[in-house]
Amino acid sequence: MRQRIILQNITRTFEDGGMQRTVLDHLNLSVAEGELVAVMGPSGSGKSTFLSIAGALLEPTSGDVLLDGQSIIGKDHQELSDIRLHKLGFIFQSANLIPYLKVEEQLLFVAKQGGMDNKQASGRARELLQNLGLTHRRSAYPEKLSGGERQRVAIARALMNDPAVLLADEPTASLDASRGMEVVRMIAGEAKEQGKSAIMVTHDERVLSLCDRVLYLEDGRLVEH
Amino acid sequence: MYLAIREMRFAKARYALIATIMLLVAFLVLFVTGLARGLAYDNAASIENMSATHFVMEKDSNHRFTRSEVGEQALEQARTIAGENNAEPLGVRMTTVMAEGMSLKLDVTLLAVNPEGWLMPAAAEGSAITAKGEGQVLVDSKLKESGVRIGTVIVDQGSGMKWTVSGFASRESFSHSPAVFLSEHDWQQLQQLSATRDGMPVGMTYSAIAVKADKLQAERLAAAMPDAEIVKKSEAVSAIPGYKEEQGSLMMMIVFLFVISAFVLAVFFYVITIQKSSQFGILKAIGTRTAYLAGSVTLQVLLLCSGSLIISVLLVQALEAVLPGGMPFLLHASTLAMTCGAFIAMSLAGALLSVWKVSRINALDAIGRTAA
Repeated sequence: MRQRIILQNITRTFEDGGMQRTVLDHLNLSVAEGELVAVMGPSGSGKSTFLSIAGALLEPTSGDVLLDGQSIIGKDHQELSDIRLHKLGFIFQSANLIPYLKVEEQLLFVAKQGGMDNKQASGRARELLQNLGLTHRRSAYPEKLSGGERQRVAIARALMNDPAVLLADEPTASLDASRGMEVVRMIAGEAKEQGKSAIMVTHDERVLSLCDRVLYLEDGRLVEH
Repeated sequence: MYLAIREMRFAKARYALIATIMLLVAFLVLFVTGLARGLAYDNAASIENMSATHFVMEKDSNHRFTRSEVGEQALEQARTIAGENNAEPLGVRMTTVMAEGMSLKLDVTLLAVNPEGWLMPAAAEGSAITAKGEGQVLVDSKLKESGVRIGTVIVDQGSGMKWTVSGFASRESFSHSPAVFLSEHDWQQLQQLSATRDGMPVGMTYSAIAVKADKLQAERLAAAMPDAEIVKKSEAVSAIPGYKEEQGSLMMMIVFLFVISAFVLAVFFYVITIQKSSQFGILKAIGTRTAYLAGSVTLQVLLLCSGSLIISVLLVQALEAVLPGGMPFLLHASTLAMTCGAFIAMSLAGALLSVWKVSRINALDAIGRTAA
């Protein structure tokens, strides 16, 4: 099994009112291809910091992040932008789609940014929308979609550039139980089918049964219960 | 660009509103510019129309034709240096005339030129004054509105001299008053009838000598004639009474309009950018480069600005076609291009604030909460 994302000895400290606070303390995690890992933890435990570091948005104070075996530490802004574009797929709390792009355009925009040619892009968009049951909604604006549909578009967008890793930030926070289950089932399904490593930060205990592993962020480390 | 255009398509009303404001401002800028140029031309048309490059005037005349007096000697000197055919005498006097048989008085500017020289304008109607045409004048066609016709006799109020209108020339004025071209001969008579200043040589005097000279010749003229001043055409034009004041206030309006348009755009895009900062954060998080987003904002500004400009240019041209002849309006292609260029430049300056703001937005904002 390939480990598409590996976090090695990640430490992150913040200056907080003149005090050094260690949010992440020698954290280690590797997620295999097709695996969905849930990360739980109370607020303030460092879930967002953890996700930001895994998502190439924040540099750790020390430690290394490997995506498909390549370190992302010490890169400049543009290189990190490209890494996020090609190697990572983000699914945010409340979908966060671009309000003025139609469903299909949300996907095509990401593909265009990644330099995919038009024909290939529209083929892939069609396939993803089909997989996620959104074909009939392809030319709707996000405001016309239900919460679940929006989150499904966000999943499709995250997958568009065929990333190594899917990162989901409380994707079920704004959904009811059944829609939440459906969305997580789709994340798990796509991760397996397309061979991605998926990490989901969540509060929602209802969806844990769909995850391959459940980890808790305690004292800056990830532990299994 | 993908995002910029789709966003404008989506938020049509919002962008249409700002485009309308831009359109109105752009229209006003172009209209006032046209008016300013028109007034400038209307004011100084006769001098602008002259193919002279410099004018030789009396020292201490403050570049004003009406104050200056130069003698025949100066004409000879100018002809020697600039060439026989490159210097022409010019008499300028603002006066009031009456048309015989009519009760109305007209303020005009008498321009005395050599009837066969290059200062003489072509007649648009009737005939130009001939070399021997004494007592004949060629007048600006604006005088037609006052009832002057070919053959009308006009009487100078000060001297009592009478001239017959032999023809009309189009667009000939000085300090907004219609021009009346008369021959050197008549000018001489007029000079003799009016009181001459003490100390001036008796004989032929003019207001100025119009010369066509290059820079070197102008310098030589200046050196050869210590009692005279060599004035550039543009300087002579702006010394025409009222010219500078008129242009100054119009210029101020134009500058303010430019600044206002830049501010309107700047504020509009800044507010929109702040509103969209979480969206920009998301876009950055999923790997969109800052340069792309900044380009997107700039493109929107450019599209709005050039769209408004195109429509307002059409509007101004339509308006120009229906404007009454009495309203001077002049917008050459070069002035138009320069104004449009300045407008776009100001708009881009207005976009800078938003671009700066976009560059400051952190992708981290996309993730719920970053740190403790």
